[in-house]
Amino acid sequence: MEISFYLAAIVAVFATFRVVTHTNPVHALLYLVVSLLAVAMAFFALGAPFAAALEIIVYAGAIMVLFVFVMMMLNLGSAAVDRERQWLQSSLWIGPSIMATVLILVFAYAFIDGGGIGTVSGETLMAKEVGIALFGPYLLIVELASFLLLAALVAAAHIGRDDSRREQPLRNLNGSVRQPSKLEQGGER
Amino acid sequence: MNLTTSHLIALLPLLIVGTTVIVVMLGVAWRRHHVASATVTVIGLNLALLSLLAVLNVTPLEVTPLIVVDKYAVLYMALILVASLACSTLAHAYLEGLDDQREEFYMLLLCATMGGLLLVSSQHLASLFIGLELLSVPIYGMAAYTYRDRTSLEAGIKYMVLSAMASAFLLFGMALLYAEAGTLSFSGLSARMSGGELSSAWTLMGVGMMVIGLGFKLSLAPFHLWTPDVYEGAPAPVSAFLATVSKIAVFAVLLRFFMTAPATGDGWLHTVIAIIAFLSMLVGNLLALTQNNLKRLLGYSSIAHLGYLLTVIVASDGLAIETAGIYLITYVATTLGAFGVVTLVSSPYQGPDAGQLYHYRGLFWRRPYLTAVLTLMMLSLAGIPLTAGFIGKFYALAIGVESSLWWLVAGIVIGSALGLYYYLRVMVTLYLHEPGESRRDATANWGQRSGGVMVLLLALAVLVIGIYPQPIISLVRSATLITAG
Repeated sequence: MEISFYLAAIVAVFATFRVVTHTNPVHALLYLVVSLLAVAMAFFALGAPFAAALEIIVYAGAIMVLFVFVMMMLNLGSAAVDRERQWLQSSLWIGPSIMATVLILVFAYAFIDGGGIGTVSGETLMAKEVGIALFGPYLLIVELASFLLLAALVAAAHIGRDDSRREQPLRNLNGSVRQPSKLEQGGER
Repeated sequence: MNLTTSHLIALLPLLIVGTTVIVVMLGVAWRRHHVASATVTVIGLNLALLSLLAVLNVTPLEVTPLIVVDKYAVLYMALILVASLACSTLAHAYLEGLDDQREEFYMLLLCATMGGLLLVSSQHLASLFIGLELLSVPIYGMAAYTYRDRTSLEAGIKYMVLSAMASAFLLFGMALLYAEAGTLSFSGLSARMSGGELSSAWTLMGVGMMVIGLGFKLSLAPFHLWTPDVYEGAPAPVSAFLATVSKIAVFAVLLRFFMTAPATGDGWLHTVIAIIAFLSMLVGNLLALTQNNLKRLLGYSSIAHLGYLLTVIVASDGLAIETAGIYLITYVATTLGAFGVVTLVSSPYQGPDAGQLYHYRGLFWRRPYLTAVLTLMMLSLAGIPLTAGFIGKFYALAIGVESSLWWLVAGIVIGSALGLYYYLRVMVTLYLHEPGESRRDATANWGQRSGGVMVLLLALAVLVIGIYPQPIISLVRSATLITAG
């Protein structure tokens, strides 16, 4: 099991390095997905399959797909088709694919060789233990984390609010007052 | 985990503030009303403050392994709640002129207050981290609250990026400590450290990274670069909040951590913290010398003051807890007063704040009482006798001398001498002749508004503490820390 942990960790480091160095946001995100998958594999090898599953479902699955969608939707237009074709060049997806292949080989090896869910050392932590910890000593922290999310949501909603919905005249960044145009108002309703 | 009635009583301040957040949120969802939101906020904070009397009956009490409510925590909770109250009254005066949605501000302020309350009572690295985030994340939104003004947006983004970086450091440090010790509670870490099992390089690296993370939040010397920009760009009530609540909470938990788990066994970390303290005193004061912006000047001055305060952690014995309590009380009263005056001069909101010193030129001839308050605050920041600042500085010097930390004592003396120069410069500006050009001014009836009353009360407090400190000292003395988990 140890070898699978180290392989996954190496993949994670490389993928994260590419996230930082890549200039194209979509490709960087692709590497970020691989990085998160590798971290999930590392969790799995450490004997925390529940955390690994959450990592895949929540981060690699939901959040990253959302990121990619937003990134693609921001650039709609006639040039987008060309750009998407450019994004799908083999030289660009080959890196993440190789890393993902390594991960799945590691996973397969761990599964066959380890005879199911194993650990590097220590006991395996399943969903039950995680639940007991979360609703035992960490109960208050879980509740307070929800306030953290609420605060982040309120801040994001305030700053990212769509100005064109406002009825009063509003001030631009440069201080001048502008009336929302008919087109903008029509677009919202 | 069974929570009994006494546990719930110990958690009352957190529960009340949390309920207030929900009430304000539901109120906003139903109908937006600025005064109502502000009133609910103030009532909630006052109730939480009152509930501390009930909490005193059950202290010390451990609520889950993560949170301990002892008298030390209660003292800092009271300080945080008072500072939040002051900030919300200031925010009310300030936001009245904002042509935007104003009610969310109170939700963010209350959430950040909850983070502070959690931090001062945390005895576990997990609650430390969540508390720190709960304190910082709302501040991103608050700093960028008037985001149509570029400087405010810049302050928000700058604080967000750098604060996230600091959190990453902190988290990495915690992970290293956990990998070595196998526990996250302060007392567990302390037991492992005193057993000599934790002297490896990983532990020192972990503690060092945590010091970097917390040093950022406290804006100590090598990690202070964000401070002046954020203080200048953020709306004045938010700068006040950053300079008080965020500093109190982080410092209180840092002190608790170092009192419970002194990682100073081999002197390495001890030296690093002493150097950070010395640098903060010098850098803060030297950079403030040529400042022409009052908000930036206060930012640099807060760096210097945290440097003085860090002497407490370097000494970490005898008078440490008492000194920290006294110093923080005097610092908070003074800083809130100074930012309060800046807020009153800048409110109601009409574009960027009146931060430049020339905005204050000749303020005495227009608003004599407000000027008197600002003068008093400047004297207190400089540590002149008969003001609260003197008592705090006296304590810091006393603990430095008692523990023979001569370098730090020298730093405090040099820093105070430098400080006198720029605080006096501000004072001189206030009494110069009025310029002919247009300027910002407080509203005519500022003294009858809640923000003005609050500033006057703070001025009174600074004077009373300066002249007759005994009640405060005995109050702080009774706030004992529970170190054994």
